[in-house]
Amino acid sequence: MKVSFNELQGLSRKAFSGIGFDEGDANDAADVVAWMEAHGLDGITALQKGLDFLLNEDKSQPPELIYQDADLCVMDAHNKTILGHASLAIELGYAKCRARGLSVTKIRHCHNRMLIVGYLSRIARRNMSVTAFWRNAHEPLTEILVSFKSGDAEPEICMYSLPSTPDDTEPNNGITLVMVNHVNLLPDIKPDAPLNNLLRQDRDAMASWHERSLVEGIEVDTTLWERLKTLATKMLVEASEDSRQGAGAGTNDND
Amino acid sequence: MISATSASAPNNLRPASEVMKLERLGSVFASRLSFVRSLMRKMITERWQVTNTVFDLDAKGHGLAVYRITTPGHCYHCVIFSRDLAPEQRSDRVIAEAWDVTFALVEGEVESFLLEQMAANVPLQEAGRQLPRVIVLSRANKSLRNFSQFAASLAAGQQPDPAWLTAVGYLYRTTAVYGNGKFGMADFARLERNPDFNRPFAAQMLAVYVLRQFSIEQLNHLAKAHAPEQAVPLHPELQRYLGVGNSTGLGMAPFLINHPQLIQQWVYGRERALASARGEPATEQTHTKLRALMARALKHLQQTRTEDEDQTLRNQETIGSVIEVINWLDRTPAHHALYEELISWALTHCSLEAQELINTMLIELYPELLDGLEDELGCRESMDLQPDMKARHLKDLIDRKFSWALTYREDCPEDNYWFWYRSAEKEEPRLGIRGTESGAEKETALAVGPRISRCHAKLERFLERSPKAMVVEFLMAHPEQKECVRRIQTMGDTPYGEIRANLWHRNMKPMHLLRTKLSFFGASRFDPKSDRWVRITLFQGAPLPSELSNPELPPEQLDDWGFPLEPMIASGENDQVLRGDAQ
Repeated sequence: MKVSFNELQGLSRKAFSGIGFDEGDANDAADVVAWMEAHGLDGITALQKGLDFLLNEDKSQPPELIYQDADLCVMDAHNKTILGHASLAIELGYAKCRARGLSVTKIRHCHNRMLIVGYLSRIARRNMSVTAFWRNAHEPLTEILVSFKSGDAEPEICMYSLPSTPDDTEPNNGITLVMVNHVNLLPDIKPDAPLNNLLRQDRDAMASWHERSLVEGIEVDTTLWERLKTLATKMLVEASEDSRQGAGAGTNDND
Repeated sequence: MISATSASAPNNLRPASEVMKLERLGSVFASRLSFVRSLMRKMITERWQVTNTVFDLDAKGHGLAVYRITTPGHCYHCVIFSRDLAPEQRSDRVIAEAWDVTFALVEGEVESFLLEQMAANVPLQEAGRQLPRVIVLSRANKSLRNFSQFAASLAAGQQPDPAWLTAVGYLYRTTAVYGNGKFGMADFARLERNPDFNRPFAAQMLAVYVLRQFSIEQLNHLAKAHAPEQAVPLHPELQRYLGVGNSTGLGMAPFLINHPQLIQQWVYGRERALASARGEPATEQTHTKLRALMARALKHLQQTRTEDEDQTLRNQETIGSVIEVINWLDRTPAHHALYEELISWALTHCSLEAQELINTMLIELYPELLDGLEDELGCRESMDLQPDMKARHLKDLIDRKFSWALTYREDCPEDNYWFWYRSAEKEEPRLGIRGTESGAEKETALAVGPRISRCHAKLERFLERSPKAMVVEFLMAHPEQKECVRRIQTMGDTPYGEIRANLWHRNMKPMHLLRTKLSFFGASRFDPKSDRWVRITLFQGAPLPSELSNPELPPEQLDDWGFPLEPMIASGENDQVLRGDAQ
């Protein structure tokens, strides 16, 4: 079925609240999912994949701060989704960059990493260049590089597989963010050919996808939509005679 | 556009401590900047055309009507479905499932596939799905008494008594007007690039305006169907005096709280207009015009009917104040600081409503000062954290800009009396009494004041341990405060900020919230049906479609339709009409 951006964002927000997210996280997570989907980055698929994790994880604690100095911080998300309090890890990196001109933030042990792109668009909007890097799997080993120029609404994204896996590669479910305040970090991502190029999304492609989503709506799997609706109803109060009075109107309006 | 900041605001504005009090916001009248006035002015200036293209109604007025709206750059269609409705189904609440008419505004042409899709979905309203070319979806119920009286009069060859429209100023009452992506419709992000509808609620107001024209033509059709030889059409003066009703309840409240940047932008626009007007030197001409405007408003208020006791008292108080204002103007000649003198005199002699009425009229005096302002009532809504702000600066910000919120007392039952929630019945917003009614554990976070107060308390304790910390470090210790903190940081930097009220307090009046929004829409004739449910009228007095395209009518005359008065129609004559005159 087709839905509007506002509907996707609104229902996601209510569903995240129903799942138990705090208001701020529910708003951020909904914005991220809708932004990703509207820009052709499969936010809905990522949500669908992560929904079971979300339902079962403890949402009360932000990532644990393992180490920090003036321009570096390392956080452990304890195998939770990036949709939760991970935004605070990004905001910590942003604050350090504002103070020092450059910051490096590492978030270890997190899921749904692609969804971080939606939140990073906010960082770019706030006049910060930001690059995210992570490795996705071991066979084949893929690397993902996302780069926002300061002030740009869309990033450049490059996902590629490496021809061989280095011997010393450890399982890696972390993500590294580099933010800079005064220059563009990676003005143009051009991976060395051929690199088994899996995906390259440029700003123009994402902008036109966004335009299309406004004109044609966004396709959503009906089963997921119904699931989100069910989650959203957790925040609704069952109707009773008392509650009907609480609307402040009669039930018949003939005049 | 981006929200205004305190730093960029002119320094002659009224202070937020005065303007943002809920009681004052709930006393505001519609003005030149209100959305219906602003839309009509655009339609007048650009000579929009509204023409009927399909009118396939049976003798009972049921069937399909389509109106084409042509603007300088685009065309739209309003598709209206009219049906029979059993009296027991006629409810204005969101929980209703059937209505007398349902309608939708569409971008471009209405091809047969689109009409088919709309016929299957528009009558279902919330239960249907719309295509992205649909930009507004709405429904309305008849005022049965007006409808039958008007149709009977016209069928008998007589014009209806104008007093009927003074008592209830419409034939149809809308009960919800949806836009911005609801039920699959176009997102506002798409409309905001369209010069026809880039002002807040412009598309919704246009759909309501077209419904008004349909109600006139349906009425004429019914009269003619009943007595083809004898029936007369509704007189143009009565057509103009006919508006569209709106029935609304607590559903307005969440919008006001969830869109604080937009609301402050509306207030900021109105206050800038007022500041510019009150700085002008009064002349003999503007003095005379102001007196005439106040006299018209007086008569309009004297002609306003409501069964609600509180509103009746408020109206009487305002009428008394306006008489005093007129007397004051009669004994005070024009001079350069007349308006400032009037405003400060009114602060101690007039009701809040009358004070705000003076402000509305001052804005009315100087249309040229509004240039550009009406295009600045929208804003790109985004709340961003400032994580590197020092936590102690955040506390200072709350102390300086949100001291009104710190009066909240956690342990005081009066301060925690109400809770807001959404019912499982169509997500209808409701108000419950805490500790008495169930559902408080699922309450919606509308009470901004108490939230800021709780955040402040946590901040104080955090600063005792970490006096040099940044905001992001406070949030890592209290992640649940993220939304509240970024709201404080965002709204604290705007000229007007938040509506200043504890929405949990026992004395909080939801009606003030409703009126705040409705006055910006351009509503008149506030007629509360309970402490949280109100009927109002839109477009009463507005020019008719046929007048918009009449080059002989000057735009400034067409635009002068605020505070409409009951027309006087000579008895037994259908073509001799005298316009109501307040002088």
